[in-house]
Amino acid sequence: MGNASQYLVQLLPELIVTVGACVALFVGLTRGSAGRDRTAAVSLAALLLALLAALLIKPDPAASPPGLLLTSLVYYVRLITLAIGVLILLVNWHVPTQREQGEFFAMVLFSVVGILFTASANDLVVLFFAIELGSVPTYVLIGLSREDRRASEASVKYFFLGAMAAALMVYGFSFLYGAAGTTALQSGHAGALVSLFAADPVPSFAMIGLLLAVCGLLFKVAAVPFHVYAPDVYEGAASPITGLLGFLPKLAGFVALVKVLSACGWAMPVWLQWMLWIVAALTMTVGNVLALRQDNVKRTLAYSSIAHTGYMLIAILVGPMAGEGPMRDGVAAMLFYIAIYGMMNLGAFAVLAALSVRGEAAEEFSDLAGLSRRHPGAAVALAVCAFSLMGFPPTAGFLGKVYVFSSAFSLGDGDPFRMPLIVLAVIGVINSAIAAVYYLRIAGTCYLRDPLVETQPAAGQPLRVGVALCSLAMLVLFVWPKPVVEQAKLASDDLQIPAAAAAPAPEVAAAGQPD
Amino acid sequence: MDVGILKTCGILILLLPAAGTVLVGALGRPVLRGRSHWPVILGVAGAVICSFVVLGQFGGVSGDEAHGDTQAVVSVYQWIATGAPETREAPAAWFNISFLFDPLTCVMLVTVTGVSLLVIIYSREYMRQHGHPERGYERFFAFLGLFVFSMCALVLSGNFLLLYLGWEAVGLCSYLLIGFYYGKPEAAAAAKKAFLVNRIGDFGFGLGILLIYLTFNTLDYQAVFGMVADRATASGAALTDGRITAIALLLFCGAVGKSAQIPLYVWLPDAMEGPSPVSALIHAATMVTAGVYMVARCGVIFTQSSLAMAVVASIGAVTALFAATIALTQHDMKRVLAYSTISQLGYMFLGLGVFAATSAIFHLFTHAFFKALLFLAAGSVMHAMGGVIDMRRFSGLRRIMPWTYRTFVIGGLALAGFPLLSGFWSKDEIIHAAMTRSPLLGAIGLLTAVMTAFYTFRMVFRAFHGAQRVPPGVHAHEAGKWILVPLCLLAVGAIGAGYVNVHIRGGGFLGFLEPGAAFESFLHPAVAPFASASHHASSEHGGGHMLMYLSGLLAVAGIGVAWWVYVRRPDLAGGLARMSPQAYDLSYNKYYVDEMYDAGVVKPLRGSGKLAFGIDEYVIDGLIWLVTAVPRLLAFGLKGLQSGSLQGYAVTMAAGFAIILLLVLWM
Repeated sequence: MGNASQYLVQLLPELIVTVGACVALFVGLTRGSAGRDRTAAVSLAALLLALLAALLIKPDPAASPPGLLLTSLVYYVRLITLAIGVLILLVNWHVPTQREQGEFFAMVLFSVVGILFTASANDLVVLFFAIELGSVPTYVLIGLSREDRRASEASVKYFFLGAMAAALMVYGFSFLYGAAGTTALQSGHAGALVSLFAADPVPSFAMIGLLLAVCGLLFKVAAVPFHVYAPDVYEGAASPITGLLGFLPKLAGFVALVKVLSACGWAMPVWLQWMLWIVAALTMTVGNVLALRQDNVKRTLAYSSIAHTGYMLIAILVGPMAGEGPMRDGVAAMLFYIAIYGMMNLGAFAVLAALSVRGEAAEEFSDLAGLSRRHPGAAVALAVCAFSLMGFPPTAGFLGKVYVFSSAFSLGDGDPFRMPLIVLAVIGVINSAIAAVYYLRIAGTCYLRDPLVETQPAAGQPLRVGVALCSLAMLVLFVWPKPVVEQAKLASDDLQIPAAAAAPAPEVAAAGQPD
Repeated sequence: MDVGILKTCGILILLLPAAGTVLVGALGRPVLRGRSHWPVILGVAGAVICSFVVLGQFGGVSGDEAHGDTQAVVSVYQWIATGAPETREAPAAWFNISFLFDPLTCVMLVTVTGVSLLVIIYSREYMRQHGHPERGYERFFAFLGLFVFSMCALVLSGNFLLLYLGWEAVGLCSYLLIGFYYGKPEAAAAAKKAFLVNRIGDFGFGLGILLIYLTFNTLDYQAVFGMVADRATASGAALTDGRITAIALLLFCGAVGKSAQIPLYVWLPDAMEGPSPVSALIHAATMVTAGVYMVARCGVIFTQSSLAMAVVASIGAVTALFAATIALTQHDMKRVLAYSTISQLGYMFLGLGVFAATSAIFHLFTHAFFKALLFLAAGSVMHAMGGVIDMRRFSGLRRIMPWTYRTFVIGGLALAGFPLLSGFWSKDEIIHAAMTRSPLLGAIGLLTAVMTAFYTFRMVFRAFHGAQRVPPGVHAHEAGKWILVPLCLLAVGAIGAGYVNVHIRGGGFLGFLEPGAAFESFLHPAVAPFASASHHASSEHGGGHMLMYLSGLLAVAGIGVAWWVYVRRPDLAGGLARMSPQAYDLSYNKYYVDEMYDAGVVKPLRGSGKLAFGIDEYVIDGLIWLVTAVPRLLAFGLKGLQSGSLQGYAVTMAAGFAIILLLVLWM
């Protein structure tokens, strides 16, 4: 068991962001605009510092504080969350009104901290806290993001539905606790939950608990039928915050899903496999079909974000694969995809935010008409992000789709779920072809139509830098994806449930016990 | 050989032109404007220097001494993870960005970057006048830079994946540049045609690469070639003849499309709608030779299949002859040159097919110089004639444009295979090899050579000799130095490039010139599979000097006939055409191949397209309407829940969960 100073070092990234959030709150209270304007810079500094710390500090499972387990998954999630957090911050630089800057940026940072702890949680209670820490600030952020009735409405809706989903999830956790007698997840080692699900038959308490927990998490990732809130909420929030919503809660949901499923040993019961199969197929299809019929770009992208959840669920169904190449590993593919998705999605929403039509951010397709002639830079960035979302080379989105879809082929010949997974991948490919229609419509509107409305560039150098970085990252990560892919693979390898090989490490297991 | 230097050079060769393109693309319109050529010129010049450094690493052209390594594989980084489990035997769980350096790479690099540089310099003046009215200038140079980048990637690649990427990327550049004057309907149509016809070939090429991956579980050249040589597959089973033939023929499909061979050559003549420098660089000197390069590179695969080699040789020979007969009667200078390019590419494939890969690559090398020269000189004529290139509308230009005339004649002599110029040496080697293999193929080669000499000098005499005549309203003038300097440099190449493979020895051609020297021994290790598979000693000409005299004589004869018909007795030309009107019409109308394709392929496709459209419009859309009617009905029924009300959403979620729970319990 590690000591306190070791814990502090190991948790340095989380601590830096937390401290940064508190400082931002205080700076936001200062009199006069000059002081308040610095909150964004303070937050950015905190994120960059934390990113540096996260790069340098390799998580050491042996030095995990109680209730947490620091694995390569933590390393990966820290890096992508903090890196994309920096982009989110840049894009949101000018979103809050001057008065609310302190609260706004503090909320962004708190949400980031919540995601970081989601990755390291090794206890159902900690996991629940972490997910909610990641989620609650987003409810506030939607309301703060613009002075609009729709934003307040979206905020309230998201809050209530989120509360309902949280109730489902925590109800499920309580069943799991009841069945296993412990709240420890003990990911990576044969624990109470694993033996629970290895039993035959699986106790029904455990099954219901797992079902409830998974459904609660499906809300976070906006999967059918828990997606209903997404279009309204995404449309109601200001575009830069929508970019955030497409990434942070989804990441929290997927990471938590991975943690819960690996705690249960990845040996998914047949009904859970089929349930996720149906959910994934429906999610892709519903998202894409509804996106086709929209005239509002934000709403189109909101539905498309539902579809992307469906793609990632395929990879979740595959699960981690020890020793197989990165392309055969579902969890690695999902982790890679979500990082790419976070950036391309943020980039697309950020371009919308960067254009001002009649004093408001662009939203309709008609606002984008002829963009290439008025703002060629913005048009290029939006086209790159749209092509990446579509999964078209030479963008990183292509690699993301390749990894996710090809992971579906990695189950062994003897596995009865092999064929259904391949069918699901085919459904996914068909869906990404359908999605090409509206993504191409976005790019085509920018390049092939004549301008219809007056657009002005919205204020903000940081926003432009953020947009440029997002679209540049899509190109760079296509050419050189290896660092991200490798870390994703390492993160997934840490989740392997060693069937017989690894003896449970009593020390860490003890650390996981609630004291 | 220093692998570090090779790696640095390879990266620079790719990055410098790419950087030029990015710079022009980003800053061309707002900042650089008329200076947009500088980043690309400097980038490609850097690539030229690096290419020569690479060549120097291999001992240079003169390095016929065998010093150890003749091949270096440099892996730059691991790119895309593959599905293969990583094992010790097969560590290829990644697709790598890797370079393969060998003499073949060197020759291609030097040719591609060198000719590109000259053409880009030429374009600086040419495109001033012929650029798009508003913003063509910087776009043109950005595309050229992109082309050099893609072509170098194709050539440098150490695996089939990067080869395929470069292959498709040069196709894209070709499309963009043929359609450069996109306002012109012919240019847009030509670009589309080129793209579609190439798709057919590339489809086969893609399938071939997939088949390679299926068979060998890797796309790395060395691994694949090693396994082919051992006749083994990744699974340990023996490699069957059928499989290797299928791979070779599918790969050759790609070469047929890209290098414009029968039956997919139809796009190349139309591609002349692009600006002349593009015709010179992409559609004559470099890109269209990618197919030849690819077959030479995959020699291990091709030489394992005698059927594939026979197909390569016969398609090459037939194309060479066929295209030459069409070139006899065309009036558009650039079209004549286009058909001549097809014909010369046919020679190269003939060379490959008869196991004379060094000769084929040698011809590729010399051809790049003289064909680029001819196209650029034709472009200079077009430049002076205000965009007119039809030989019926001007003549006697030799006094107005003396330098263009001189360089064009040099290029023409080289193309015609006039003794002692570059084309003579390389073409003769191919004919010689073909003759040894099969007298029929050799005879086709010789016949084509006469025709080549005739149509080339038909052009020279009609455009530059006779009464001085220019299209009305055109102020004819000689081009400036930005055009003439590249022309003269290329002319030097057209004369001298052949001598890299000639050495002085008693008893050779004319008593002292013996072909088959430095170039051949330099290139030999890279295309060794061809040599070991063939049984004739290609380096020794033996009794072949007779053939050299004969082909030289034929070239002179062709030129003489052209002179007789077009200068001495101009009235004869029309008479000849009248003498056999059917033959003339057949050739003039290009054997009606375009019309046949139109009737046999395009019309049926369009018909089926209409059918599909009808089905889509009435059947599919009807189905979709039906399908969407369900959610709409649902929406109607659940209107209260779907109107954005919070309670409605909560109920939907709860109902969804209930359904899931029921399903699970039911299962």
